[in-house]
Amino acid sequence: MEALKNTILEKTNKSLGVNAEDARLTLTYLSLAFIVLFIGGALGLLQGLNRAGLLELPVWLNYYQILTAHGVLLVLVFTTLFMIGYFYASLSHTLGGLLPKVRKMGWVAFGLLVTGVVFVVTTIIMGEASVMYTFYPPMQASPWFYIGLVFLVAGLWVSGIGVFINAASWKKRNRGKHLPLLSYFAVGAFVLTLLGSLGVTAEVLMLIPWAFGWTETINVMLSRTLFWSFGHTIVNVWYLVAVSAWYVTVPKIIGGRLFSDTLARLVVILSVVLNVPGGFHHQIIDPGFTQGLKFMHVFMSLSIALPSLMTAFFMFAVFERAGRKKGAKGLLGWFKKLPWNDVRFLAPMIAMIAFIPAGAGGIAQTNNQLNQVVHNSLWVVGHFHLTLGTTVVLTFFGVMYWLIPYLTKREMTTKINRLGIIQTIVWAVGMLFMSGAMHWVGVLGSPRRTSYTTYGDNATALGWDPYLFFLAIGGSLLFLGVILMVYIVFNLMFFAPKGNTAFPIAEPEDNASVTPRWTERWGLWVIVAIAVISMGYVIPLVDLILNAPPGSPPFKTW
Amino acid sequence: MKQAAYGLVLYIFLMLPPVTALAESIMAIHMHMQMPLFVIAGMLMTPFFQKKFPNLFSKWNSNGIPGIILFMIIVLYWMLPRTMDEALTIPAVEIFKFVSLPFLAGVPLRDSWKKLETRVKNIIYISLSAIFGFMAWLYIASPNQLCNNYLIVEQKTLGWGFVFLAACIFIYFIQTLFIDETEYE
Repeated sequence: MEALKNTILEKTNKSLGVNAEDARLTLTYLSLAFIVLFIGGALGLLQGLNRAGLLELPVWLNYYQILTAHGVLLVLVFTTLFMIGYFYASLSHTLGGLLPKVRKMGWVAFGLLVTGVVFVVTTIIMGEASVMYTFYPPMQASPWFYIGLVFLVAGLWVSGIGVFINAASWKKRNRGKHLPLLSYFAVGAFVLTLLGSLGVTAEVLMLIPWAFGWTETINVMLSRTLFWSFGHTIVNVWYLVAVSAWYVTVPKIIGGRLFSDTLARLVVILSVVLNVPGGFHHQIIDPGFTQGLKFMHVFMSLSIALPSLMTAFFMFAVFERAGRKKGAKGLLGWFKKLPWNDVRFLAPMIAMIAFIPAGAGGIAQTNNQLNQVVHNSLWVVGHFHLTLGTTVVLTFFGVMYWLIPYLTKREMTTKINRLGIIQTIVWAVGMLFMSGAMHWVGVLGSPRRTSYTTYGDNATALGWDPYLFFLAIGGSLLFLGVILMVYIVFNLMFFAPKGNTAFPIAEPEDNASVTPRWTERWGLWVIVAIAVISMGYVIPLVDLILNAPPGSPPFKTW
Repeated sequence: MKQAAYGLVLYIFLMLPPVTALAESIMAIHMHMQMPLFVIAGMLMTPFFQKKFPNLFSKWNSNGIPGIILFMIIVLYWMLPRTMDEALTIPAVEIFKFVSLPFLAGVPLRDSWKKLETRVKNIIYISLSAIFGFMAWLYIASPNQLCNNYLIVEQKTLGWGFVFLAACIFIYFIQTLFIDETEYE
């Protein structure tokens, strides 16, 4: 009886379009996400201007406070809010509505996230947590900052468990069927989030008693290692969220088909299994690890490039096939047949193009010797503004042009499309200037995580100035991009004309092969992932704990 | 047959002198990466042997029990601290490692697994996680150096590796009890 009721609900949902209650949940997440983007973007602009020596920041809101808030708000909060909103809408659409219990969990997660953000942002504004978004000890923030982080992680967990419950319930109601690809991505992304958050949870639980003064010292290297098992993973989670849109929605938007369902699912599995130990390459110049161990970890890090290259292969195949279907000739004729004037395609396409240099830069940084050259320089900042700030964020923007009208039962106008294209170009050019300048000046030695200084008019430091101007110009353009995007999002939400917008889901090819059953065996993949994580982390962690130095008392460097 | 070729490539790669030197320089990697990879190389090469000698497998391993027993004997043998030491100091034992893990553990494991009843598979899961748990206790708690070639701290690291391996196998076993794949079929 229950199954019948659910099937009826599912059918009604499909024919009537989006469930109003599910839409409200996602729209709430997305509204807050873009408000956060606006604040974080404004802070970014202030930072860029300060770095170029154009703006002196007041004592009560200094560079490091802004840097911490910018990082936390954009890297952790904006992305998390977007991910949950987007995936809950995807589940609602592809699985025929959220279960009432799961919807409730979505709201609980929202409450937890907002509470966490309030704690974190308040402590930063009070000047008690200028520890940057990596919150490395022995720099010590107020304990309430760390407690805020606990709420953020708890929000992620609750929303993740909601996704698993909804997916399992759908599978029980639809025996023998594969979970729809977009929901499959959601499950993969949240499995990865949960696995990745284990390390940082352990770290934060050690930091809280230390911040309260109940324990005197902290194991610095252990904390950094646990942090990066999370930090690197979570970046790859955002990337996986963006990739889900490339695989599932972009082919539909360009009038193509899904190239291979199996390949897409394999990419999800590989991303989940291989990702967590990759975090180690962020510590490649940390002391306390042997060279042999670092060398092993190069392989673990490089293995993540494999699913990315598979994605590149997949996307080119989709583009070429779609182009040829439209009559493209020659080796590269399909390139011209792509819908360049459709922002729903243009934004994710530029995101993908940006990932070519971004991914290559990442591979370069994974190598010990090359990392030594750029490690503490602005190069690294440039790198993650390309990966996260362009590849991930532009894809998120691209999703907005159809997801919001779909949820609000409105339509995107040609005017918004044109504005969206301008926004995308502004963003791309801004990032080209800013990230390009950061990469270049980084190689010349300009440090990251440092406010503007000429080091007593040292000639080398003065030589960085022209590049830092470009950084500021790019940053200003990016803030213009933020303003445009926030306008577009709220315009689509409240002012666009009523109408019907489809949720673009690519169909498989007519002669598509059957997706093998092993792709659904999450029990096995999670175990393999844990085994790979232990392969990567048991050796360094045991060494860091058993051969630990005396530990460090807290420092307040600001 | 592609799999068999990949298995062969992996097998040869693992035996290259710089690869063995690096893998064997760290105790945990020696036992928890190199040795399992040899087993995996053997598993990948299994289709080749099944095709080449179909009678051998159907005659001697009809229900999978002999194969899994052989697998367990080989795995247990390589878990002894002394055998690791000997693999490093006596070339003949090193060669035996290269031969036994892929061909006497990997091949029979893959040939047997599909033939085994669920009950036997459960016994294997439980005994492997119990043995790994015991090895974890041994390597972590032992106050003495068990291998001449590795330090006590490496020994403890290996012990923690065993904790995770035992946990992985046990969690996998538990989820097979609770998640009935046929419910989703």
